[in-house]
Amino acid sequence: MAKYITKRILKGIVTFLITITLTFFIVRLMPADPATLLMDPRMSEAHRQQLLKDFGLDKPLIVQYFSFLRNLLKGDLGISFMQKRPVMDIIMEKLPWTLLLMTITQFITMAVGIPLGIYSGHKRGSLFDQIVNAVAIFGISIFVPWLGFTLLYIFGYNLAILPIGGAHTPGIDGGLEYFLDVGKHLILPVITLMSIYLANYVLYTRGSVIDVLSEDYIRTARSKGMKEMRVLWKHASKNAMIPTVTTAGLMIGRMVGGAVLTETVFAYPGVGRMIYQAVSQQDFPILQGAFIILALSVIIMNIITDILCAYLDPRIKLE
Amino acid sequence: MLELKKKSSFRKRWEKEIKAFLNHKIGMIGLFGVIFLVIVAILAPVIAEPVSGYGNYEDKLLKPSSEHLFGTDDMGLDLFSQVVWGTRSSIKVGIIAVILALAIGVPIGLISGYYGGIFDTIGMGITDIFLTIPMLPLMIIIAAIAESNSINMVAFIIGIFSWPSIARITKSSTLKVCGMQYIEAAKCLGIKTKSILLKHVLLNASTPVFINLTIVMASSIVTESSISFLGLGDPLTHSWGKILHNAYQSGAFGTAWWYSLFPSLAIIFFVISFNFLSMGVRDALNPRISRE
Repeated sequence: MAKYITKRILKGIVTFLITITLTFFIVRLMPADPATLLMDPRMSEAHRQQLLKDFGLDKPLIVQYFSFLRNLLKGDLGISFMQKRPVMDIIMEKLPWTLLLMTITQFITMAVGIPLGIYSGHKRGSLFDQIVNAVAIFGISIFVPWLGFTLLYIFGYNLAILPIGGAHTPGIDGGLEYFLDVGKHLILPVITLMSIYLANYVLYTRGSVIDVLSEDYIRTARSKGMKEMRVLWKHASKNAMIPTVTTAGLMIGRMVGGAVLTETVFAYPGVGRMIYQAVSQQDFPILQGAFIILALSVIIMNIITDILCAYLDPRIKLE
Repeated sequence: MLELKKKSSFRKRWEKEIKAFLNHKIGMIGLFGVIFLVIVAILAPVIAEPVSGYGNYEDKLLKPSSEHLFGTDDMGLDLFSQVVWGTRSSIKVGIIAVILALAIGVPIGLISGYYGGIFDTIGMGITDIFLTIPMLPLMIIIAAIAESNSINMVAFIIGIFSWPSIARITKSSTLKVCGMQYIEAAKCLGIKTKSILLKHVLLNASTPVFINLTIVMASSIVTESSISFLGLGDPLTHSWGKILHNAYQSGAFGTAWWYSLFPSLAIIFFVISFNFLSMGVRDALNPRISRE
């Protein structure tokens, strides 16, 4: 197991290095260089050169790249163009909210999606299965911002039972009240973000349950006279979950994209909304930093999922 | 004679598959949906007059009526026309994304599947990385720094990041095909690698790739809409995401339900149609799954 974990972490480090290299060169090689975008067109050429020098943009690309890496290792992601504060500080204020939103969504999605998939795979072809399938396909096709707006419109404005945005009510802090307040603000964003991923979990689990139920060991369990429900939940479900957990890793990357949209719609103060604001302000250090931190979070979560998979299915380690 | 016989059995298989597809209700709904979208895209100039600039102030946020089927936006512009013209952009983005995904994904999949070894390690390593990193934020960054945000540019950005799933599918079906005896036979006959790859491997791997393409098509529209919704789309072209962006910006989504509803329904219709089509094709070509 230790060997597998080491290997997996090394792979994660390589992935991260390639990701940041890619980001660096994409940002630098774009037709519009950051300096030109950053500066007012009315600035003089001398001023422009000075600014380029200040940001270290006058040096050769490769020198810039290595100083970028060096700074990154020190946790320095540069200074925000707009807020004139270190990018790292700004991101660290926002990241906990995004991680909270994503972790809760991930857990609820799995807790609801996997049993639903197992049961509808077991009841294959029944009315229940067909309804679950139809809803799942509709869920995959739904457009996140629209679902968000609709929920906001119904629960936030019309019924006015849930907050219309933000992550907590200013003024309330500490204690149970704060906890409940944060929870209340999470309800709509979590439902919105869940919609697409829930369908994926249901369909994947359903497919693998169908495969697993035709295995020999299931027949053995049945012929021992075991009750069908016990066969399903004790024997079949464990193996059926493996492909689902494997794809969970991939799903996290896509969920980050969904989080950008969800946070924007609900004015949720996370990294996703920060990206949206940075786009309209053309704040490149923020964009680049946000992407690097998000990619790092996704890579770490992927490593955790993979280790979890290896624990569930010892065969994986042998590959 | 042998040639003739081979052809007829090939045709028989095709006939069977087409028949299976025609009997697949969901697949047929998808096919009709896709045909409908293509017709709307082609006939856009006939169906609705293009709108641009500022409309009449009196026409601001009108409810759907016989004159304005989908109502009007906060500029007083007809939403029906914008949704119809948005279909055109969506189809265009989808086609460009699919072509790019094919052009990058298929060669990577073919080479890593056929040659294996170091090619496989590098090819699939890159694919894995692209599958892991969060794509939407990366595309947002590129769209934000790109000099022009024409619809072609957006489509290009989506396309160059849509290939990983195609590469994976191509690789796994290449592996499957390469294990067949006829590929070995072709190698023994001294047929050039290039022609084995193109003629035998590619032809046989084309079915799963095609099924995946419809999914790429559907997801490229969701991505385009997301990018446009965030205000990074082409300001001069009508797109469903752009209408939603305007609805969000104007703050009218709470009062004018038609403003955000119709473009959203269009996106859902587009995605469902292509997903249904892919289900139909998959089941028709792979009867084992359809029985399940």
